[in-house]
Amino acid sequence: MTAIELRGVTKRYETGGHTVEALKGVDLAVDAGEFLSIIGPSGSGKSTMLNLLGLLDAPTEGEVWLDGIDATRFSDSEATTARREHIGFIFQDFYLIPTLTALENVTVPTVFSPGGPARDRAAALLENVGLADRLHHAPNELSGGQKQRVAIARSLINEPNVVLADEPTGNLDREIGERILETLREITGQGVTVIAVTHDEQVNEYADRVFALLDGVEQ
Amino acid sequence: MSRGQRILQRIRAFELPIERFVDIDAGRFPAVFMATRNLSRSQLRSALACLGICIGVLAIASLGIFGNVLSLGASDALGDIGNQVILTPNADAGIETIDDSTLTEIERAAGDTTVVPLRTSGGLIEYAGSSTAATIYGIAEPGGVYTASEGRVPDRHRQGALVGASVAEELDVRVGATITVDGDSYRVVAVLEEVETFSPVSPNDAVMLPEDDVGGPGYDQVTIEADSGAEAAAAASAIDTAVNSREEVVDIFELSAITDEINDFFSLLNSFLIGLGGISLVVAGVSILNVMLMSTVERREEIGVLRAVGVEKRDVMRMILVEAALLGVIGAAGGVIATIGIVALLYLVAPIELWILLHPTNAAYLLLAFAIGVAISVASGLYPARKAANERPVDALRS
Ligand SMILES: Nc1ncnc2c1ncn2[C@@H]1O[C@H](COP(=O)(O)OP(=O)(O)OP(=O)(O)O)[C@@H](O)[C@H]1O
Ligand SMILES: [Mg+2]
Repeated sequence: MTAIELRGVTKRYETGGHTVEALKGVDLAVDAGEFLSIIGPSGSGKSTMLNLLGLLDAPTEGEVWLDGIDATRFSDSEATTARREHIGFIFQDFYLIPTLTALENVTVPTVFSPGGPARDRAAALLENVGLADRLHHAPNELSGGQKQRVAIARSLINEPNVVLADEPTGNLDREIGERILETLREITGQGVTVIAVTHDEQVNEYADRVFALLDGVEQ
Repeated sequence: MSRGQRILQRIRAFELPIERFVDIDAGRFPAVFMATRNLSRSQLRSALACLGICIGVLAIASLGIFGNVLSLGASDALGDIGNQVILTPNADAGIETIDDSTLTEIERAAGDTTVVPLRTSGGLIEYAGSSTAATIYGIAEPGGVYTASEGRVPDRHRQGALVGASVAEELDVRVGATITVDGDSYRVVAVLEEVETFSPVSPNDAVMLPEDDVGGPGYDQVTIEADSGAEAAAAASAIDTAVNSREEVVDIFELSAITDEINDFFSLLNSFLIGLGGISLVVAGVSILNVMLMSTVERREEIGVLRAVGVEKRDVMRMILVEAALLGVIGAAGGVIATIGIVALLYLVAPIELWILLHPTNAAYLLLAFAIGVAISVASGLYPARKAANERPVDALRS
């Protein structure tokens, strides 16, 4: 079953009079529970692709489908709701909120929802990534690997269908990177689709499939 | 280490572990929860922004109350004179006194008001070897208008003298004494209570004699006393139609004209003072705008993450507005407390009556200043909030 899909997607950026074509007619379908890695040199369009998959940006041409629904022309509020309900994000720089504890950071996507912050689920997720004893620590009291694990827990708080990760092992040493990839691998076992953008060869060992991009075109 | 650094360090030492800073129920008030955490991040900056609002509110409230106290004090001193109408013979038409038939017409037109005809002259008052000059009034029915501090004011004044407070004090006269008024002897039947409010017929420097003993025929002045300014105005116009239709017989002077002018002056003064305070609040608003703008620019990526993980625009907006409102509420509350302190100090050093300070209108100024302070803070948060909420998360997160 296809979880998320790009159909003939082109993305052009207009800057200062000239146009950059970051993606040129990309097709991609990722199944539920699949672990896909997107590789390619710098500037090849990886982040652009992830932004389109995460409904953070809209394609210039082509369509984005999420769970069998055409999400291409979602309004800002529809896209926000879809992100909150179906997508988890792991950012390269973690982007934890420094004034919130690890536990509170994990609950952030649910803070404004009617049910209130999902604290119990957040605690369980942090335990799963091995941070049971760090629930009440501020981000500046955590190591890089611990922060990344908090970010992973945050991406899972809303029980997403798809987790999108930009350079999830980017600044971490090899051993910690491995643990994080194992965690991602584990969640695919629960039917969650993981799409990770990376420069890192290591990621490919864990991926079911590698999507190689060069100058906005699949190789 | 410089002095400034030491102070900063001391301030930082007060920062509590983040989770224990104000514990807001994140489930019920997510925006307040997020906002208090954000403010805890840069406490010094938040405190300075609060201070601005605090000073602005202090300025508005204390200047407003100051003007209000002046105005209350003045209207207290003026008493009820706005309820009075003074009728005098129209000298321009050669009329020297108000005659009995005119008085009857006046009484008929004046309705329920108290009509007090007066004869006026001046003269020397002598008692036990000392003497003083005083106004001498001839008055038939002083009972409704004046009260005695000693003795009794008769309803119908047939004999004896009523002595005003200042005259009595100067000559050391008591009830029962016999004084000489312009050569004639009178027994003192009452010493009048001192009247502190301004009045066109002030009894303090006067001696009141029975009507027939002063001048005449006719009256030099008729005072109309009503229960309200409106009643006084109605009586004045009724008298004007009744008495002055053929010929301008009496001059009609409504004292409410004076009180209106005085009230106008004080409300102008008060607007001016509040305007002054308002300027400082606007400056404080600009500092809130600046603080919120700085803080949203610093948190650009964080806000981008919030939006990316599914927080709605309106929730981001609400969160930032709550931050601005919190700064406003804390600052304005500080301003209100400071104002109360200053007013209390004023009471200690200046001769102001307590009831004037405790007058409900002063509380209204406090509330108004508080509300304006909070409103200006929220208004100053609007632009930063909109700007932050409307930024696309892709743009905020592009490193
Ligand atoms: N907002 C933008 N405006 C203009 N050009 C952009 C914008 N975002 C990306 N680009 C351009 O699009 C192309 C693809 O960018 P993208 O960020 O997707 O590359 P990437 O594969 O993620 O690179 P890296 O590995 O360095 O992160 C680049 O040439 C980039 O300059
Ligand atoms: Mg990139």
